[in-house]
Amino acid sequence: MSIATAIPRATRLAALVTFAALAPAAALAQKVAPITVVINQSPWFGGFAKVVEAYEKETGNKVNLDVNPFAGSAEKQRSSVRSKEGQFDLLVMNSTWLAEFYHGGFLVPLNEIDPAFKLDPQVIGYDDTAYWDPKTKTNSSKTGQVYGVPINGNIGVLYYRADLYEQAGLKVPTTWDELLANARKLHNPPNVYGMVLRGARSASDISYDWMPYLHSYGGAIFKDEKAGDFTVTLNSPQAKQAFDMYLELAKTAGPPNPGSYGQAQVIQALVTGKAAHGTPVIAAWSQMDDPTKSAVVGKMGVAVLPRGPGGQHAPTLGHFIGAIPKNIPKERQVAALTFLKWFQTYDAQLKYAQAGQPPIRKDVYAAADFGKKPEYRWMKAMVDSAPYPRMMYTVPEGAQIVSVIELRLNQAVIGERTSTDALNTAAAEIHEIMRKAGYKTGRLPDLK
Amino acid sequence: MAAPLRGVLAGDAARWRHYTLAPALAVFLALTLLPIANLLVMSVHDIRWEQGVAQWAFAGTRHFAALPGDQLFRDGLVNTALFAVCAVSAELVLGFVLALFASRVVRGRLFYRTAFLLPILIPGIVIGAIWKLAYNPDFGVINQLLGLVGLPGKDWLGEKTLAFASIVVVDIWHWTPFVFLLLLAGLESLPQDVHEAARIDGASAWQELRHVTLPMMWPAIAVTAVFRLIVSFKVFDEVYLLTGGGPGTATEVLSFTVYRRFFTEDRIGYGSAMSVVVLSLLTLLIVVSLAALRRQRDEA
Repeated sequence: MSIATAIPRATRLAALVTFAALAPAAALAQKVAPITVVINQSPWFGGFAKVVEAYEKETGNKVNLDVNPFAGSAEKQRSSVRSKEGQFDLLVMNSTWLAEFYHGGFLVPLNEIDPAFKLDPQVIGYDDTAYWDPKTKTNSSKTGQVYGVPINGNIGVLYYRADLYEQAGLKVPTTWDELLANARKLHNPPNVYGMVLRGARSASDISYDWMPYLHSYGGAIFKDEKAGDFTVTLNSPQAKQAFDMYLELAKTAGPPNPGSYGQAQVIQALVTGKAAHGTPVIAAWSQMDDPTKSAVVGKMGVAVLPRGPGGQHAPTLGHFIGAIPKNIPKERQVAALTFLKWFQTYDAQLKYAQAGQPPIRKDVYAAADFGKKPEYRWMKAMVDSAPYPRMMYTVPEGAQIVSVIELRLNQAVIGERTSTDALNTAAAEIHEIMRKAGYKTGRLPDLK
Repeated sequence: MAAPLRGVLAGDAARWRHYTLAPALAVFLALTLLPIANLLVMSVHDIRWEQGVAQWAFAGTRHFAALPGDQLFRDGLVNTALFAVCAVSAELVLGFVLALFASRVVRGRLFYRTAFLLPILIPGIVIGAIWKLAYNPDFGVINQLLGLVGLPGKDWLGEKTLAFASIVVVDIWHWTPFVFLLLLAGLESLPQDVHEAARIDGASAWQELRHVTLPMMWPAIAVTAVFRLIVSFKVFDEVYLLTGGGPGTATEVLSFTVYRRFFTEDRIGYGSAMSVVVLSLLTLLIVVSLAALRRQRDEA
C-alpha cells in the first residue's frame, strides 16, 4: 500500500471510528418534544440539574424541571397519573413510592414505547426495582418488564469526622457497637455531638434512619415479604435489640432533643461541625466538601453503614427511579424515553459523578481517576455498600406503615414510650393495616 | 318590548332579584356544594387504584367509626382547640392595644400603621423560614439574644413542652396585624362626640376605655374573634413548616392530620371522612358564633 492511498484510508478509518464512537450519542440525540420532569428538591437535585443542562446543550431538546418538596412531588405525581391526561412526562419517584405506582398500574413498560429498549448492563440493579411483574406483583428482572431507569443511587452511609478520628486514634467502625463506643468517645456537647440521628417524625425520617439497624440485626417489618408472608415481625427480639441500640446512641451520644432532627438538621449538624457521626444519604455528600456550605471541608470520612451482630450490613435503598406515565401521548413518552436513554450512558453518568452525585453505572465507579482524587472518596463507600441495600417495603400500604413507625418510634425517642411499648404498638397497628387490606398476615406475641 | 321583560321592568322586583342572583348561585353551587358532595360520597367509600382506574368499594360509616381510635385525630382535635383559644385570645388583646395606640398617636401615624401590618404581608413559606432560623437552637437569633443577657438557650421546636407554645407565638406574630387592622377600622368609625362627652364629664382614660370605647367596640371585637377562630381552626402552614406535628404529637393539628391521612398516606376515603368531621365542627362553630352575635345585637 502506498502512502498516498494509505493516508486517505487512514482518514476514512478515523472518520469511521469517530462516527462509531459518536453514533450512539447521535442516535440518542434525536430531536424530540419538550418534556416536563417532576422531581423533588433533595440534596442531590443540584447534580441532576447539571446533567439536565448538559443534555439540553448536547441534544437541543428542552427539559422543564418541576421541583417540589419531597412529599409534594409524590402528591403531584399521584394527581398527574390519575387524571385523564398526565401533566408530567417523566416521574422521578423515590423507592418508597414505587409500590403505589406499580400496583396502581399508572406506568408504561418502556418496551411499549421502544421495543428495543433495555437497561444498560452496567446500570446497577437496586434490588430489581426498575422492573415490575404485574401478574406476580413483584419487582423481578426475570419475569417482569423494565418500567424505569434509576436516576439516583441514593442509600444511607456512615459519615464520620476523619480529623477527629485521627486525633483520637479511632478506627472506622464496622459494627454498631463500635460506632456507639466511638460516638461516646467523641461526644463533647454542646460543641460536638457524638452521633446525630434522624429521630424526627415526618413522611420518612426515623423509619428510614432506623431500618438499617433493624435489617442488620436480622429483623424486618414482615416475616417474608417476597414470598407473600406478611406476618408482622416488627416486635421481634431482634427488632428490640436494634431499636435499643438506636436509642442508646441517641441518648448517650446525641443532641438533647434527637426526636426533632430530620434529614436537613442532621446534614446541618454535620456541615457545621456539630456532629461527629451521622447516617444521612450519600446524596448529602456534595455539601460536605463545598466551602460555601461546609465548615468541615476535607475533614469528613464516609464508609459503609455498620453491621449488626449477625454480621450483615443493611443500608436501606432510598434511590430514585425515572418512569413514564401511561396517560400521556406517545410523542411525549418517546421524548421522555429519549432522555432516559441518554441519562443511562457512560458519559452522562460521568458528568453526574463529577457533579458529586452517585452514578447509577458500575463502570463509572470503576473509572480510574476517581479512586485517586480525595473529593471522590465517597465512591469507595458506595462500592462497599453495593451488595447490601434493601428496600423498606414493597406494598402500596407502605406510606401508612411508615406513618405508624414514624410516630411510635419517635415517641420512644422523646421518652413518651419504652422501646418495647413502641414496637408492640407499631406491630399491632401495622397488622391491622395489612388485615384490612386483605393480606396473609399475623403478628408475633407482644414483647415483654 | 316583549311582555315578560316589560313585566319585570314594570316592578316585579322579587323575580328580578332572583334572576340576577342566579349566576352567582350557580357559581356557588359549582364551586362549593359539589366538592362537598363529592367529599361526602368519598367518605363512605374505600378507593383503590388498579390498572390506572379507581376502584370504589362502599365502606358505610366504617371510616367515621374509626376516627375516635385514631391517636393523631384525637390529639389533633385537642391541640387545634387549644391553639385556637390561645392564639386568638392573645391576638385580640395585642391587636386591640396596637389599634388603640395607632388611633391615638399623632406623630409617625403612617409609620406605625405600616410597621404593624408588615407580618401579614409576608407569605407563609417565608414566615416558616424566618421562624425556623430564629428558633434554631444553635444559631437562632432568639437564643443569641438570651445568651446576651446570660440566659441559657432552648430548643424551641424540639422540646415537646415548648414546641406548641412556639407555634402559637408564630401565629400571634402573623395574625395580630389582621386583628389590628379590623379593630383600628372599628375604632376610627366610633362617634367622637361620645368620647368628648365622657371627657367633659371627667372620665379618666381607663374609665373612657372601659365604659365607652369597649362597649361600642364589642360588635367589631366579636366579629373579629369569630373570624379569627374559624381561620385558626384551619392552621396548617406553621405546623407543616416548623414541626411536622412533632415532637411526638405535641403540635399535631387537625388540618395537618387530614393532610397526612389524605395525601401522604393516600387514604382517600378515610381522609375524606376526617375532612367531613372537621368541616362539620367548623360549621358548628360558625353557627354558634353567629347565633351569639345575633343575640348580642338583639340585646343591644
